[in-house]
Amino acid sequence: MASLLQPNRVVYLVRGEKKIRAPLSQLYFCRYCSELRSLECVSHEVDSHYCPSCLENMPSAEAKLKKNRCANCFDCPCCMHTLSTRATNIPAPVPDDPTKTTMKKAYYLACGFCRWTSRDVGMADKSVASGGWQEPENPHAQRINKLIEYYQQLAHREKQERDRKKMARRRQCMPLAFSQHTIHVVEKYGLGTRLQRQRPGAPLSNLAGLSLKEGEDQKEISIEPAQALDEVEPLPEDFYTRPVSLPEVTTLRQRLLQPDFQPAGASQLHPRHKHLLMKRSLRCRKCEHNLSKPEFNPTSIKFKIQLVAVSYIPEVRIMSIPNLRYMKESQVLLTLTNPVENVAHVSLAICEDDDPDGINRTAQILVPNTELVLAGKDAAAEYDELAEPQDFQDDPDVVAFRKSNKIGFFIKVIPQKEEDTDVTVAFKMRHDFRNLAAPIRPSEEGGDAPAAEAIWLTHHVELRLGPLAP
Amino acid sequence: MSDAKQIVAQKSAKIAAGAVVCVESEIRGDVTIGARTVVHPKARIIAEAGPIIIGEGNLIEEQALIINSYPENILPDTDGVEPKAMTIGTNNVFEVGCVSQALKIGDNNVIESKADLGRNVILTSGCIIGACCQINTCEVVPENTVVYGSNSMRRTQNEKPQPQTLQLDFLMKILPNYHHVKKTVKGSGALLRN
Repeated sequence: MASLLQPNRVVYLVRGEKKIRAPLSQLYFCRYCSELRSLECVSHEVDSHYCPSCLENMPSAEAKLKKNRCANCFDCPCCMHTLSTRATNIPAPVPDDPTKTTMKKAYYLACGFCRWTSRDVGMADKSVASGGWQEPENPHAQRINKLIEYYQQLAHREKQERDRKKMARRRQCMPLAFSQHTIHVVEKYGLGTRLQRQRPGAPLSNLAGLSLKEGEDQKEISIEPAQALDEVEPLPEDFYTRPVSLPEVTTLRQRLLQPDFQPAGASQLHPRHKHLLMKRSLRCRKCEHNLSKPEFNPTSIKFKIQLVAVSYIPEVRIMSIPNLRYMKESQVLLTLTNPVENVAHVSLAICEDDDPDGINRTAQILVPNTELVLAGKDAAAEYDELAEPQDFQDDPDVVAFRKSNKIGFFIKVIPQKEEDTDVTVAFKMRHDFRNLAAPIRPSEEGGDAPAAEAIWLTHHVELRLGPLAP
Repeated sequence: MSDAKQIVAQKSAKIAAGAVVCVESEIRGDVTIGARTVVHPKARIIAEAGPIIIGEGNLIEEQALIINSYPENILPDTDGVEPKAMTIGTNNVFEVGCVSQALKIGDNNVIESKADLGRNVILTSGCIIGACCQINTCEVVPENTVVYGSNSMRRTQNEKPQPQTLQLDFLMKILPNYHHVKKTVKGSGALLRN
């Protein structure tokens, strides 16, 4: 019955630009807007880059120089695992006396998973443990760099002309406004918009930068256009008759991981430096507050700001489902957990028939009319044996059990469709939310510090109960 | 009489001198174990449908199962079924929990943990069968093949895996300190003649 606890059984509806249904564990809660946010209605910003195997931090500029790859770690070209450096002892002649031989250490790269070694590709063993391994050079690197320079210069020139036109048109207006506008237009082939967005308040320096570059760009970079060839290399004669040796041929995945070379034979698969991963922070698009901000250190998994939905919104989970039969009423046991420390009041309501959110429903439900009261989450309760018994008057028809901040309650489900699909039900959950982040304004009467105002939030919850009993 | 004697002779395992075979390992049937082979406790070598001949320098780790069993559709009692001998060469490594029913295994192979070899596979030399890979086809695996991954992908490597001499030496020193070792039995020719 552990499948009932799967997170995607209970989904909450997020009303953003798109309507997204996601389990509560994958959602964020903006406590300034008092709304649920999903990954698609927040803006993602890159915090830092780090290597997943050596956990080395790298600032973004350096990462961009190294093409987002770590300098020390390698990936196995065969199975994409991390390569480890192994050492062997080889006899090598002492430089002074050629007749004697001493044991010298030779290092090679090896994969622990598929047993690939650097000797398989013909790479000689190095005498240095790290830093001796070179990636093969791309034969087209020069041409590509030249093309990139040419297009960067072209984009610069286009931008300058645009700026000049706008300056000529609107001389009276503030020069600040238009240069901000040109920043927001994506500059092709140049710096990313993120770096430009970080300098919105310095338009004058921007113009100064452009005028400086004018002097440099006076030398024209010209490129030869690519020439189209009529003749293509013919296939070798035995291409169709030669038997294919499968262990020698690279898979598509191995080939495309190295787009520079795309080797067809396994003996040309060279290891590549490991890709960097990044830490990102999330920001609500409406109020520009941070929803999730991880710590800078790659070894730390904690967050500086962590506004996840599970710590603000009561969570509904399915506990047990009886056999569901078509058009027969059965009782389903659900649990509701209160994540905050205050007492929470939750009331449930069924969706109206014409509710546009409830199109996935395949069953009618009856929810309890009474308001459910949940005790606050008390972290010390499990250690405190003399806990006071909670004195809630529970209707045994509605509330099955109560355990610290969790409550089990019944709903009645009447499946309406006899098809083979899962029975899905939906209801609205209304609960009170105290915004402890907002500043507490002193009340007019003075006196005690007022508690934060409670606002009522309504969420649309959908449950997937499973197939009908045969 | 000779039949009874033969059955008695087949039940003992012939362990050459220099091999370390722990008492907790289960060895059933006619099994010959060569010198410098280490058999860990809880390893199982079962010769049901014929003898098993294991060469020198092999390393058979815990819960490994080397079994010469009858093919599935043949009952043990049917006549005309010749006992086929299973031969295992030198310097092989059978890692923890692997199952090997292959009738012929060459030298310098490594069968990683929880790998499964069928009866009709013949391993040549230098092969590495990766963890949890199953090979139950009817084929001869060419030399220096590596089988890896959840889809049992294959590739060829340039050189055979290194023999585990250091590991074998270490184990031959340490295992007798903590486990009882089966006594070595010289060839059973003398028993038969009696």
